[in-house]
Amino acid sequence: MPPAPITSVTRQLSRRSVFEALLHRSPISRADLAKVTSLSKQTMSEVIDAFEQQGLVRPVGRTRGNVGRTAVLYELSPEGGHALGIDLGARRLTVAITDIAGRVLAEADEPTDSRGGTWAIDQIARLSDRLARDHHTHPSRIRSIVMATPGVVNPKSGAIEMAPNITGLDHLNVVGLLGEKLGSPVVLQNDINLALLGELWHGCAQNLDNVAFLALGSGVGLGLYVNGRLVRGENGAAGEIGYLPIGGDPLQAESRLQGCLEYQVGATGVVRRYREAGGSDVDSEREVFERAQAGDAIAAQVVDETARLTALAAAAVIATVDPQLLVLGGSVGARPDFADKVTRVLLQLAPRPVEIRTSTLGRRAGVVGALSVALRRLHDEFFGVAEFAAALPLPPPAHRSAHQ
Amino acid sequence: MTRDAGYCFAADLGGTKLAAAIADAEGGIVTELNEPTDPRGAAYVAEQIAACAQKLAHTAGIDVTRARHVMVGIPGAVDPHTGRVSLTPNITGLDDFDVLGFLRDRFGPDVAIENDVNLAMLGERALGCANRCRNAAFLSLGTGAGLGLLMDDKLFRGAHGTAGEIADLPIGRDPTDPSAGGTFELEVGSLAIVDRYRRQGGTAAATVRDIFTLLEQGDDVAASVLDTTARWVALAVVTLQSLLDLELIVFGGSIGVRPELYERVRETLPTLFSRPITIAPSRLGDRAGLIGAAWAAGQALRRNSEAA
Repeated sequence: MPPAPITSVTRQLSRRSVFEALLHRSPISRADLAKVTSLSKQTMSEVIDAFEQQGLVRPVGRTRGNVGRTAVLYELSPEGGHALGIDLGARRLTVAITDIAGRVLAEADEPTDSRGGTWAIDQIARLSDRLARDHHTHPSRIRSIVMATPGVVNPKSGAIEMAPNITGLDHLNVVGLLGEKLGSPVVLQNDINLALLGELWHGCAQNLDNVAFLALGSGVGLGLYVNGRLVRGENGAAGEIGYLPIGGDPLQAESRLQGCLEYQVGATGVVRRYREAGGSDVDSEREVFERAQAGDAIAAQVVDETARLTALAAAAVIATVDPQLLVLGGSVGARPDFADKVTRVLLQLAPRPVEIRTSTLGRRAGVVGALSVALRRLHDEFFGVAEFAAALPLPPPAHRSAHQ
Repeated sequence: MTRDAGYCFAADLGGTKLAAAIADAEGGIVTELNEPTDPRGAAYVAEQIAACAQKLAHTAGIDVTRARHVMVGIPGAVDPHTGRVSLTPNITGLDDFDVLGFLRDRFGPDVAIENDVNLAMLGERALGCANRCRNAAFLSLGTGAGLGLLMDDKLFRGAHGTAGEIADLPIGRDPTDPSAGGTFELEVGSLAIVDRYRRQGGTAAATVRDIFTLLEQGDDVAASVLDTTARWVALAVVTLQSLLDLELIVFGGSIGVRPELYERVRETLPTLFSRPITIAPSRLGDRAGLIGAAWAAGQALRRNSEAA
């Protein structure tokens, strides 16, 4: 019987399975690739030749030690294509580049331009460009860009709304402007969801299916990963826990506008409560935490109350979604002294024990999560097969710049 | 149909009442019954469930072995990995009883147990007011408080099967204050409501049903007690909405379905939350759990036949 004609879908599938094997088993020989993928040696040769021409793979040596001929080993080439991750925080802008194999090649950060708006957009473009050039990556190689942002992206206007801590982005087409400046379409996603994906890929939540990420910093938010998927809710507003009716009178105007919980535990809430309790002037909530550690009794009281309210929010999360793991993150949430306090209250509260960890990526969580999504999109662009809903699994964080 | 498509057996076990049904292969109920739950505890209740299957099969004129899939709703948490049951204070000894093992002994391998409110959620999704919803909740208020969650059109049970165990929601008297020791269920459970009525000077109410009757007669204390209860419930609804951004929250359970309650909740919500929240009373009422169990059994039966 003559062999079945190679359709484009079978070709795509072959390419995809070879790529997946390279992603998880490099360096690897053609013979082993054929074994792992169950493809014929001939098909394997065709795919590898095509990959080499595209610059996707490169030889990295030969097998040794065995009897008989040695074989060429291949790995994914760092030149095969790059992904850019951006984390636009109210205070800090972070960008990072990964190659197609998931190796983080470079990372940089600086304080966010406090003037916001177009200044912030220019800053993002400038920092990304510099990072690429410093690492000899031509910007055209960057095929996939994801940015973490606070607030909610308006899909019609491309503006970032409900992000009160960065000014001037709510009337700009951020998606359009950034895409133009960076020369490639940019995908914006919620920063807390991306921080959670960062912890799942490289941080403290690897290999788990049900994780809640509670972030406390300028604001308070929740990322939920349930049965292996992010929970976005009916209108993309899941995890808006600033509006939990905890910590104050939910009927108060501030509660309705800013969110009852956020009004108390957000950065401005912490500063306000410190002043109201008779504390002297402070610039930021960080100062309140530092004073508490230095022995300021009023500050200590404010910190304790913040921890108690955060624990109540966590208890609501645990009662409702029953996660395997609760991660505390954000500039305040991940502070060990604060996380200890939250954990202590929670132990006293929660009827069911739950494992609690603090974010291991800290302020890198958002950019690592952005990279993970950008990388998936890059893989999809090369190897997406319409018939497959599932994304390629990302490689584990084994090697940071192993070849640099 | 040339082949015997088979039947399902479904049951919804409650603290006071056991409902059971024989359903066809599509999960449509053929015949059903209700009886008081055996008060002597888990082992007797398990036998009672098995006896119901026999009775119903007899009524339907079939042999009980033709019930090829069995689904039983449990008033507590069911661990999705182990099938272990917990948090079932209303049935003595159920936490330590191997319900799944017992049922498999009697009915064979195609048996599943599931949290009762989860089944009510499925019932409303399949045949009730949550038709076409992908992200919804069934909030059951009665003796206690429970929640069934549908996320991305799938039941969401959590890592240990305790998702939706909102009795412990930190809403109500301050739960970090050891002298108060109160959480959500202690504010809105039926005992709490009756207790609140007495504390506010009401006299002749022994049950929540009495309070609803008094309300109809214009009793001010009853109205005030329901206002307070509705406020706590509204805070729980706001909590769920902030966490999960649901399309619909279905109100069920003996207290939850009462318009006197959910209309009060509905009126309160806009004062507490700036975005709209949709709530609706259960369309299937106290049969939601049983209908959901039958539907789920029908689904499982179909999956098994396709796999065979």
